[in-house]
Amino acid sequence: MNALVLSAILGVVMMFSGILLKRPAAIRSVAIIGLLLLLASNMLDMSGTRFFSINLGDFLHFDRFAFLFNSVAIFCVLVYVLLTGKAIERVGVKNYADYFALFFFVLCGIFLVTSFQSLLILFLGIEIITIPLYILTGSDKRNLKSNEASLKYFLMGAFSTGLMLMGIALIYGAQGTFAIEKFNLLKIPGSPLMIAGMLLMLFSMAFKVSAAPLHFWTPDVYDGAPTVFTSFMATVVKAAVFIGFIRLFENAFGLLQPTWQLWVALMAAATLFVGNITAVFQQSVKRMLAYSSIAQAGFMMLAIFALNGDAKEGLLLYGAAYSLATIGIFSVLSRMDDYSYESFNGLAARQPLVAATLTIFLLSLAGIPLTAGFLAKFYMIKAVVATGSNLWLVVFALLMAAVSVYYYFRVIQAMYFREAGEHSASFQEPGKGFKWVLVLVAALIIALGLFPSLLLNWLYF
Amino acid sequence: MKNALQLAYLIPLFPLLGFLLNGLGRKYFSKSLIGTIGSGAILASFAVSLWVFFQVKSGNTHVAHYFNFISVGDLKIPFAFQIDQLSSLFLLIITGIGFLIHLYSTAYMHDEKPEHFGRYFAYLNLFVFSMLLLVMGANFVIMFIGWEGVGLCSYLLIGFWFRKEEYNKAASKAFIMNRIGDLAFLIALFWLINKTGTVTFLEVFSAESLSKLSDRDITVITALLFVGATGKSAQIPLYTWLPDAMAGPTPVSALIHAATMVTAGIYMIARSNVLYSMAPAVMTVIAIVGLATALLAATIALKQNDIKKVLAYSTVSQLGYMFLALGTGSYVAAVFHVMTHAFFKALMFLGSGSVIHAMGGEQDIRKMGGLSKYMKITNITFLVGCLAIAGIPGLSGFFSKDEILAGAFATSPVFYAIGLFTALLTAFYMFRLYATTFRGSFRGTHEQEHHLHESPAAMTIPLIVLAVLSIVGGYVGVPEFIAAGAHSLKDFLYPVFEPSYKILQEHHVSHETEWGLTIGSTIAILAVVIYAWTRFSKKPDLAEPQGLGKVLANKWYVDEIYDAVIVKPLNKLGALLNNIVETKVIDGIVNGVGRLVNYGGRQLRWVQSGQVGLYVLLMVLSMIVIFVLQFFFRK
Repeated sequence: MNALVLSAILGVVMMFSGILLKRPAAIRSVAIIGLLLLLASNMLDMSGTRFFSINLGDFLHFDRFAFLFNSVAIFCVLVYVLLTGKAIERVGVKNYADYFALFFFVLCGIFLVTSFQSLLILFLGIEIITIPLYILTGSDKRNLKSNEASLKYFLMGAFSTGLMLMGIALIYGAQGTFAIEKFNLLKIPGSPLMIAGMLLMLFSMAFKVSAAPLHFWTPDVYDGAPTVFTSFMATVVKAAVFIGFIRLFENAFGLLQPTWQLWVALMAAATLFVGNITAVFQQSVKRMLAYSSIAQAGFMMLAIFALNGDAKEGLLLYGAAYSLATIGIFSVLSRMDDYSYESFNGLAARQPLVAATLTIFLLSLAGIPLTAGFLAKFYMIKAVVATGSNLWLVVFALLMAAVSVYYYFRVIQAMYFREAGEHSASFQEPGKGFKWVLVLVAALIIALGLFPSLLLNWLYF
Repeated sequence: MKNALQLAYLIPLFPLLGFLLNGLGRKYFSKSLIGTIGSGAILASFAVSLWVFFQVKSGNTHVAHYFNFISVGDLKIPFAFQIDQLSSLFLLIITGIGFLIHLYSTAYMHDEKPEHFGRYFAYLNLFVFSMLLLVMGANFVIMFIGWEGVGLCSYLLIGFWFRKEEYNKAASKAFIMNRIGDLAFLIALFWLINKTGTVTFLEVFSAESLSKLSDRDITVITALLFVGATGKSAQIPLYTWLPDAMAGPTPVSALIHAATMVTAGIYMIARSNVLYSMAPAVMTVIAIVGLATALLAATIALKQNDIKKVLAYSTVSQLGYMFLALGTGSYVAAVFHVMTHAFFKALMFLGSGSVIHAMGGEQDIRKMGGLSKYMKITNITFLVGCLAIAGIPGLSGFFSKDEILAGAFATSPVFYAIGLFTALLTAFYMFRLYATTFRGSFRGTHEQEHHLHESPAAMTIPLIVLAVLSIVGGYVGVPEFIAAGAHSLKDFLYPVFEPSYKILQEHHVSHETEWGLTIGSTIAILAVVIYAWTRFSKKPDLAEPQGLGKVLANKWYVDEIYDAVIVKPLNKLGALLNNIVETKVIDGIVNGVGRLVNYGGRQLRWVQSGQVGLYVLLMVLSMIVIFVLQFFFRK
């Protein structure tokens, strides 16, 4: 609750800071301080110190899982602001503070989605997350691609909102309540109204996490949006929606698992296939990352499929590992003029430290051992294996993970094994602080790859 | 009291430190400092390995448990090292030969820039670290981490001279072929977790967990692990990367692609010998694949003219021998041959490096000849290597090869016959190589002749040490029929393979038969050696090969076949997906829908290019399909 209220207040504070402060660096500092406060208040909440005592009724329930993910999300946004904050200036300094205000509002939505107890709150949270994203996507006003992406995103987003509302309405019709705790599935488990509503919810959530066959918007929007904001959308937001996704399917539809499990399995497989196979053929790193985010979503779908203890722990780890690595890669990408693979040629010679950390991020995404990405994938596979059957899904996922190595290594190969040519894009010389944060994030990824309990122990103690 | 072997973590720690120091400091350190750190780290590991070996020899084996690496539900994967007879032997091979090769590299790579020199040693140390993890790990997961690590280092080192495009291709090829194998390994791993709930060697191989595995499970797991081994250890069908891997610096070929990494598959199977002994069908497959690889690679080696390519195919062939030994249940012979092969093949690779160094980078043996006059030490040591691999009595290769052939004879005389034929081929191409390179008269340019010189001491000392080992290394395994109870290696490794001996029935071949076989094969080999030596000293094989020789020189066109059957169709499929599905189908529909929508309003044309409509259409269609299937077809 602390973080929820504080994030809303901080959003407003950021909006006003734009009037008072003119220097981007000052605005950025305010945002960083705000994020630190937010992180601290959330940690306090987790350890039992609550600033507000409000009867949440059937609307919200903050459990450890939600708190922990919220901390991860705030931390990722903090890393994101530290790494990419300066690059946002390239989008525009005029409304600079407003972007940060939007981040806080998105965080506010995230807190709702991760701890909802009523379908209404879920809907509210999802909308609070999405509407700022429409704005961020279109924020590069003079760029037609950005405008187009924003409009496309909005049109299709509205479509998915419709799906969700329809689903909620049908479920209300079946259950007579929005509170997921009060759902009575034992009595009439298979009522068509309930199942139709559940499927619609499945589709709309799948849309938000860009799972096939509802992923079509993703490449266009991620590619069209300013790179700095793609980074934000593709990481923290996606991971948060996954937390809401698993919460919904565990707490509300857990008993209907036999009905939806097959569909989730097929969607996961389709997502893995589309994401990985299409990523192979991309010529732009930015577009490759858009497809890679689809591919990674396919892996996270496995957690929804398995829905056991391993799956939840693994999803948390996966969200953290994936977000941190992707934010890192995007932070480098956003300092480049050109997003083709060739522009990475010979980066290792010019920027050895940046190239080394980038390599760690890519290895983690590819799921190479000793990185957090490997363990995250390991947890997912383990969770699916634990369901007993469905070995085909495991084999398929591993096969697709092997495919993913190809396109991630293409970047590494360009950086290390190719000479810088005329195609190499100019790379903005990073400051010391940027490099330190990169190293820190890379170290964190290795540390989580060795000791996942650093993160997961928080669930229990 | 804690077991003293808990200290075994020191062994991989030194190379890791060496890697970090050289990796971070490569821009600031001098070459001599880099060389000292790199070699010193391995020497330190070797010292500890030696101590560990004597601990194990005096009967102290231990599983050193450090911390829980992964703990998911009731699956616990500890970070632990298993120190026993098998791993301690491999430790000695890896660190011992590793040290010699590091020492050699300090001279061989001396012309590189300090930064690249540092990079080279950092990679090499990282490789040794990964290889140590691979053999020391007490469970399949640690082994897999090492397995991936050595693959990565091999990739980095093959592509070390990355400015040449074909070298990059060789590196990628090695990496991809290994990934195919790794995938099989991973599936086997998860299968094992699913059925037994553990990956720790001691637990998996215990009677309790073996009883949980059905015959089918064991067959599938062992077969998948074997597929993994064919990738790493270059067996049919995944062997073609190894000859291409010769693009890397020669010491790398010696360390990774002859002595250590490529034997990882053999180590893994030897480690899991219990499982394999319970899967006789897979054993037969291994024996046949091994034998076929040995024969195929030996025939290819007959007509190669690149000094390193000959050695590479010879390595593939010898690895095939080791798999033959595994497949026929002679696990000790396989490990024995790993050891002796590590000695003489590392020796020959380093010798070839010395030759290449003297020839100023030339690798074509047709342009060499008569080098024995210029490079005395290289000449003698290389000759020792050739005699050892050919299996001349008294040298190390004789003992291990003889043991493999005896095991093959016990299983099937056909195996023996093909194995012996391969051994004759080996003797032939090795002495073709030796005679063409070192005997006769020099055929290179005057400039090269002027440049010819013996290599510096840092290169010749490892050669001499390895030559001595190649001679005496075989006496740890003197066969029973020559001197009873002299096979100390077998006694040493007995505890590791004891469970298998209980399952496999031993075929006994009488001592008289063994004497007969040995004497017969020795005479045949000697005849081939003398023939090849005299023939190629006088008249080297310089002409372009014709007929069958051409097929052999082109490696049976296996690369071309793979290219036509696998690579091209895959590329075509990719292009098809890209051209037809992406451009024709998707864009076609997009444009079609786009035109329809355009009637609506020209104002929004640039947004409504039809795509959003198409996207929503596709989404709705897929949802309808799911709804229909859910409500009308699912019970």
